[in-house]
Order: sequence, then C-alpha cells, then structure tokens
Amino acid sequence: MSTILGNLKQIYKALRGRSVADQPGNSSEMNALFRFRYALFKELLAANSELLTVLSDMDEKLKGETVFGLSYITNQVNKSLRNAFQMVKSLNVMSSGKHRDLYAALEKINERIKSIIEERRAECASRAVMPYDQVLLKDADWAGGKNANLGEIKNRLNIPVPEGFAITTKGFHDFFEYNDLKEAIIKQKNLIYVNEFDLLNNLSAETLELVRSKPLPPDLEQEILAASTELWGDDPSVLVAMRSSAVGEDGDISYAGQYLTLLGVTRPEICEAYKTIISSLFSARSISYRSSKGVYDEDLAMAVACLKMVDSRASGVLYTRHPYDITNEHILINAVWGLGPYAVDGVVTPDAYAVTKDTGLTLQEKTVATKLVQLRLNAEGGVEERPVPPDLQNAPCLSDDQIRVLAGYGTALEQHYKCPQDVEWAMDPDGQLLILQSRPLKIQSPTNFSLLKAPPLKGYELIVDGGEIASQGVGKGVIVHVDAVEDLADFPEGGVLVARHSSPEYVIVMRQASAIIVGAGSVSGHMAALAREFDLPTLICANLSMDRIPPGLEVTVDAYTGRIYAGEVPELLTAIKKEEAHMKGTPIYDQLERIAKHVIPLNLVNPEAPEFTPAGCATLHDLARYCHEYSYKEMFQISDLASKFHGWSLKLDAALPMDIHLIDMGNGLKEDALTKWNSVKVDEIVSAPFIALLQGMLNKEVHGLEPRPVNFSGLMSVIREQTLAPGHVGDRFGDRSYAIIADKYLNFSSRVGYHYSVIDAYCGDTINKNYITFTFKGGAADDVRKNRRVRAIADILDREGFRVQVKGDKVDARLQKYPKSYIESKMDILGRLLIFTRQLDMLMTTEQSVVWVADNFAAGNYKLTAPPVEA
Amino acid sequence: MDKKQREFKVLLVDDEDVFREATARQLAVRGFVVLTANSGEAAVEVVNNDPPEVVVLDQQMPGMHGSDTFIAIKQINPLIEVIMLTGNTSVDNAIELMQMGTFDYLMKPINIDDLLYKIEDAYTRKKLNEKQQREAGQ
Repeated sequence: MSTILGNLKQIYKALRGRSVADQPGNSSEMNALFRFRYALFKELLAANSELLTVLSDMDEKLKGETVFGLSYITNQVNKSLRNAFQMVKSLNVMSSGKHRDLYAALEKINERIKSIIEERRAECASRAVMPYDQVLLKDADWAGGKNANLGEIKNRLNIPVPEGFAITTKGFHDFFEYNDLKEAIIKQKNLIYVNEFDLLNNLSAETLELVRSKPLPPDLEQEILAASTELWGDDPSVLVAMRSSAVGEDGDISYAGQYLTLLGVTRPEICEAYKTIISSLFSARSISYRSSKGVYDEDLAMAVACLKMVDSRASGVLYTRHPYDITNEHILINAVWGLGPYAVDGVVTPDAYAVTKDTGLTLQEKTVATKLVQLRLNAEGGVEERPVPPDLQNAPCLSDDQIRVLAGYGTALEQHYKCPQDVEWAMDPDGQLLILQSRPLKIQSPTNFSLLKAPPLKGYELIVDGGEIASQGVGKGVIVHVDAVEDLADFPEGGVLVARHSSPEYVIVMRQASAIIVGAGSVSGHMAALAREFDLPTLICANLSMDRIPPGLEVTVDAYTGRIYAGEVPELLTAIKKEEAHMKGTPIYDQLERIAKHVIPLNLVNPEAPEFTPAGCATLHDLARYCHEYSYKEMFQISDLASKFHGWSLKLDAALPMDIHLIDMGNGLKEDALTKWNSVKVDEIVSAPFIALLQGMLNKEVHGLEPRPVNFSGLMSVIREQTLAPGHVGDRFGDRSYAIIADKYLNFSSRVGYHYSVIDAYCGDTINKNYITFTFKGGAADDVRKNRRVRAIADILDREGFRVQVKGDKVDARLQKYPKSYIESKMDILGRLLIFTRQLDMLMTTEQSVVWVADNFAAGNYKLTAPPVEA
Repeated sequence: MDKKQREFKVLLVDDEDVFREATARQLAVRGFVVLTANSGEAAVEVVNNDPPEVVVLDQQMPGMHGSDTFIAIKQINPLIEVIMLTGNTSVDNAIELMQMGTFDYLMKPINIDDLLYKIEDAYTRKKLNEKQQREAGQ
C-alpha cells in the first residue's frame, strides 16, 4: 500500500509540478484556466469570511455571558477547521502545490484540538430524567440551555420557577439506540445537497413517522412518568407545556421557533408528546435550517423541558438596566394581565415601572396603562383572548410590594449571572411570582437600533456619531495618529490609536491603547478579532475626518453607541463595569478556552516577518492569514498567463493611448458582447473594478494630453540610456495591456515600453473581500529619474490612503477592506494615474519635481509642462 | 440552471441508492453523461470497461472504502480526476487525500451547482494534463 501511495504522490507531483500555463492554448482552454483559478480564489475568500465569522462568534462566547454546550464547540470547531482546510486547499491548487507544508500545519492544529474535544466527550449525563431540584447550569450540555438555566435559578438563587423536569440527551440517545434510528437520519441529511425538495419532503415525512412509530425504551418511559407523579401526584387537572431545550447551540436563542412546542399536554400524553417533539428535529425545515447554519448532525441531540402550565394572572418582562441608554441603571419592569405574549407583541400597552438599585429598591416611576384585553389559558391548554374585567382595566397589575419582590429577583439574577439580564416573569393564580426565563440583556448598538438609541449625553462635545462597533467598551485617552507601522514604536500608555485603516499590526500596542478608531475596515476583520481578544473598545468610522480628532486631543470613545466625545465623560466611564460572566469557570467554558488557543490568536501579523511561513502557523487564524496573503500574490501573477493566450483575447474599443486586450473569466461583460469582431466597447463592460478604472483612464482632464510636451534634457536622458546601456534596459516588456475581468474582479497589466504596472482588485459588497494591489516598475530613463518617478507615484498613492513601499524603481501599493464605493473611487484615481505617469520620468529632472508632481496630481492639475528648476 | 450538453462521462459512486439516483438525475438534467456504481468494486469495473473522465466518489462505503477505490482508479488511469464526497465533518482524511492528488474534497451537504462546476474544472484539468503528457512524450 505504501508503495502505491508513493507512486501516486510522484505521479501527482510530476503532473502538478509543471505549470499548465506553459503551453499556449486555444480559447476554451484559456477561459477554463482563468475561470478555474478565479473560482479557487473566490472559494478562498468565501472560506476566509466564514472562518472569521466563526472566530468572532467564539470570541463572543468567551465573554462567558451565554450558555453553550459541547455540541456548540464541536460545531464551531468543525466549521473553522473546514474553512481553514478549504483555504489551504484552494491556495495549493491555485499555486500548483507551492504551499503544501500548510497541510502539515493544519494537521497539527487539528490533532491538538481533537485531543481536547475527546477528553470531554467521555463525560455525559448519567440520568435520562432530572427534576429541576437537581439541575444546575453545569448540566447545560445534556439538559439543554433552557432547563439548565431554570434549575440554576431555582436551586442557586431560591427564586421560584414553574414546576417541572428535564428529559436529557441521554433520553434521546437511549431512544435512538433502542430503535436503531441513526441510519434513517443520515440518509435524509445527505439529500439536502441534491436540492430535490420533493424527495426531501417525502423522506422527511417518512422519518418523522418512523420516529413517532417507535416505542420509548421501557426504562425511559417509567422514569418520565415517575418524575411527573413525583411532582403532581394523580392530579388530572395539571396540564404540561413541553418544549425543546436545544443543546446544539447557545441555549434556545439560535433555534428559536425551529422546533416544536406542545401546550396543554395531559399527563397520559407526555410520552407521545416527547416523541413528537424530538421528531421535529427531522422536519424538512429543520434539516434545511441546520444545513444553512452549518450545523452538522453527528452530535445531534435534543433535551426536552416539561413544565407545568401556569394560567398567569399577570406577566411581563423585566430588564435589569436600560437596554440602550447606558447611563440608566434602573430596573425596568412591564406588566399586562394574563399571559406574556401580549406584553412582548405590543397588543396591549403594558404598565411600566422603574425601580432604583439601592438597598431599598425605591420605586422611581409607575405608569399604569389601560388594558382592555388579556390572553388566558382555556381548559384544553390552548390560549384565548378575553376581556379584562372593568375594575381591573385601569388598575396596576402589580402592587408596590410585588414590584419590589420582582426587582429583588432581577438584582439577584444580575448579580449571579454577572451581567445585565432580560427576564420573563409571570404571576400564578395564587399570586406567586415566577421567573420563566432569564438571559443576558443585549446592550444595543446603533447599527441595528438606530431609532431607539439614547440621545448623546448633554454637556459634552460630540465629535463623531454613528461609528460601527468592532469591539464593545468605553475608553478614554489622548489621540495618537498612526500613519505607518514605525509610529507604533513610541505609542504612549493609554493613548487612543487613530488610523485611516484597520491593520492587525496594531496588536503590538493593544495592551497599551485605551481605544482604537479607524476610518475603514470590517467589524469581522482580523484587527476587530484581535481587539475583542484584548477587550479594547474599537470603532470603525466611515468618512472619518482626521482633522476632527487631531493628535493630542483627549477623547472618550463610547463603543456601545458608536460615539466619540471630546474630553473625559465620567458617566460613561463608570456606567458599565466589566465583570466576570457566569459561564467562566464551568468545565465547558474551560474547554472552549483551551480550544480557542489553537483557533483564535493571530501570531502572523506581519507578512514581511521571517516567521510568516507555514511552520509559523500555530492557529487556524494564522493559517487563514497566510492563505489570504498568498492568494493575492497568486492572483497578482495571473497576468503572466495572459500574454500566452493573446490570440484569444478581445480588444477594447476605446479612445486610449494604449491597446487593451480583454479576457473575461465570467460575467465581466454583457452577455451579448462577446463575439462582435473580437472587439468590445466600454459600455459593454460590467466588471465593477474595470469600469471604475476606465472611468479614470478616460477622464477628460488627464486624457487628451498626449503626447506630453517633451522636455529636452529628459528626452536626452532616455536616449542616452537606450544607446549607451542597452543591456541595462534590455528587459523590454511586451507592448500590450491585458485586463482579465470578472464581475467583481480585475487584473490589469500594462506593459508599455520599458515599464509595467499591474493592478489586481476585488470590488464587491463584502467589505472583507475587497482590495486593490498595485505595482509599478521600470521606465526608460536613468536610475535616479526612475526612482524619482516611483517616489512621486508613492507620494500620490500615500495621499490617497494606500499602504506604499518603494524599492529601487519599483513601487508596491495596497489597500484592503473598504466599501465598494471607496474601492471604485480609488480605481478611478489609479486610472488617471496610469495615463498621467506615461513618460513622467522625463520630467523628473530635479529632486523637487517629486513633490511638485504629487502636488499637481492631488490638485487635479494634470498638465505638467514646467518642472521646477534644479536648485 | 445550466443546461448545455457536455460530451464527457462522469461516474458517480455511492452506496446510498436514493442519494445516488437523485444526484445522477440532477447531473443528467444538466447535460452530463452519467454512469453510476453502488460500490467501490463496481466502480473499478466501470473504470476498466467504460472509462469516465471524472469520478465523483463517496468516501464512506461498506466493502471497498472510498480511499481504496480512489487508489485503485488512479492505478488504472492516473489521469482520471476524482472528486471525493464525504458526509463526515472531520478534515482528517481530507488532508491525506488532497496530498495524494484528489482533485477536490467536498463535504456534504453541498449545492448541486457547486458540484457541477467542480466536475467541469476537473475535466479541464484532465484535458490539460493529457495534453502536457502527450507533448512531453513527443
């Protein structure tokens, strides 16, 4: 076997070792080859985005505020491994296996993660049924998030919750094993991918039927009935609500509404109802939902909550603080008569109470509304709307004492869970207050809560409003502008880092900084992930004007509402205290933390560093960063292939001083544009980055200046170089310009005379994927002038916000993770620059001309006739 | 949906009848000439008698496992491109198989159109490799 494998690897090597592009080919080969490479690139970008989303979700869980179980961890780990694998695979196929060592690095990380997961898998629930007296938060993994929370509230805080018990995942596994049901489920799952919905529906119906038709194992049935008798004796009037308490995700939030809830279940019906609920995992809708969320079925299991139904006299919602005004710490309660949905859905205007958090729990505000209708249970366990008796319509639902009791519960919940809570409560027919659910209160960010967000604080100068939140928090400090990596060297303790663009390299100062503000970037990008890791308040403020936040200014950055205030704002700084969250310290949290060490940290921040290698990849994030970086390089070189296929390209019909040949890799041209005399008009192009570039190239101000008046001494320099040192300028490039395009992509290489430039750009709706790279090299003049020219170009691009590097007669510029419109505006600039720089080196007669040229370009003055005289 | 006729044969290997037939139907609708096999052994026989250009191969099969079938196919003709499918979410085998020269390794569930593009890309790769080998031999 090993020799066969060895042979195969050799054949593979021999085949892949040679570049397929060495041979000139025909048109369909060419199209296939370019499309192939572009498809891999797109796959890589998509996997990168998905991986970064998983990382930020894991970061969120590491705050410890939300409940999760082992299934959450295995799912996220699988997802991140899968995407990392996809990236490694795509990069290797693109590059004919140049980065094969990445596989070994991935395997190493995979092994480390697997061993941590295996340890935990060995543990599991010992019992299939657990009364709430015995359930605690630590049981979330098998009892489900909802059950575990209710048990924790009842047993650790002694706050009343509805009576009931949990049927754990052990019950689920017992049932499936007893009836040998796993096979059926796998069959069904595989069908989603075929997109045969009728077939999936039929098979889903069959599976549902199959699950329901099987008997519960006798032991399980007995345990369930015993638990119910233990709680409610033989009372036939007790009705039960049964609902899923999913373990696949974080409690029940993500699965909200996906699985069945049965109300009004009578005691003898409990076992049948249990089967109906777990079978709901296999409805076509649930399967499609899991598949779309990337949840896999290997570890699929469900816990079920059995709760005594409460015919609430009143119910409502309690927030332990204001959800968006971060200076308002009062406990807020609302209340309606009857069941809760009318309080949440807004059918009835509820009473509203506000209570201070001091020891006396002072009632601060009490607004009693007119409540005409209520939702109540009927005898069958269903719900119905009934009128509120006239004497209660304008009466408060809660007495002042009851409000204080409830506020006390809220305070206890917030203290126990160590973060603000969003609580559902009910009052039973005997007047006892119960907690139905408690979960972390989301402090709303302005992006999704724009209408309701709190007004800016009075008495402070608001400098910026509407920033996107990359990492939550409040920070205060003195503004420090960072224009280049070198500026990080003397970054002061407690400074607020301000930069035009996000960069993972800022990690160097994340321990010292008190906040970060950048003008562009993505909330799910590398830097944002790092900022969350360091718990550093971070805002991304589009259209950020540097003048508004000059160096040295003291500001308070509110990365809850996306605002920046001048000076110190004590209310904000004291409003939210960071505290340890309740999941921290649980075994499952520790496990996530250990695994996260192999997933989240980013060690490869600088592509120029010696450790930026496959062997240097210690985490999945590193792998992603490496693949991302090198995929640019691979795409950048795609233009090398273009000249080999020149016979098959289309010519662009445009009034430009150069011939441009087009190769469309997919959807870069209008459909009917392809075959007209092998030429294409500008208005037939639909490639977004190419349209923007052409707009700049065709700009009337720069265009129509050809030929530029020749400066005599400049011309002499060119002639001298060409006659005296032919070897030196011998690498004359072909005289063609190629545009390899797709709808969102452009690789434009212009090899005219003795210089070349390459632009590689992606420009779509996903900010994280967008970038421009630009290289300019060569020229016909002497080295000094060539160098002046690239420095002038570098100066121009630097002013335009590119990250620029100059080496000899070569300039490299890069810009990434900006919105589409911004990328387009920069492509326009590059288009102008391409025309502007033609023959520019002849004008570079003096050192002053470097700045002079850049100044003129920035001023929109493209007519350069009089270079400054040498001093 | 892409309905153009394709002139090359694809072999689909999966022990799961419903899945195999449904996938074959979907590929046929999209203009592929589809051969099917319900086991690794049957796949090897098809490759010997009626060689396809591209094989889509399920990894988890009773009897001859997907990885072994892959090796057997490559021994018969190393130029046939193989796309591996798996219902397994782990990347363990994926790494090994990619290093051995699987064209691609797809984890179920995937979109049928993605599979279609993968098959076309695999076919392109095969044609280019064949041409290279011819030219190298000249």
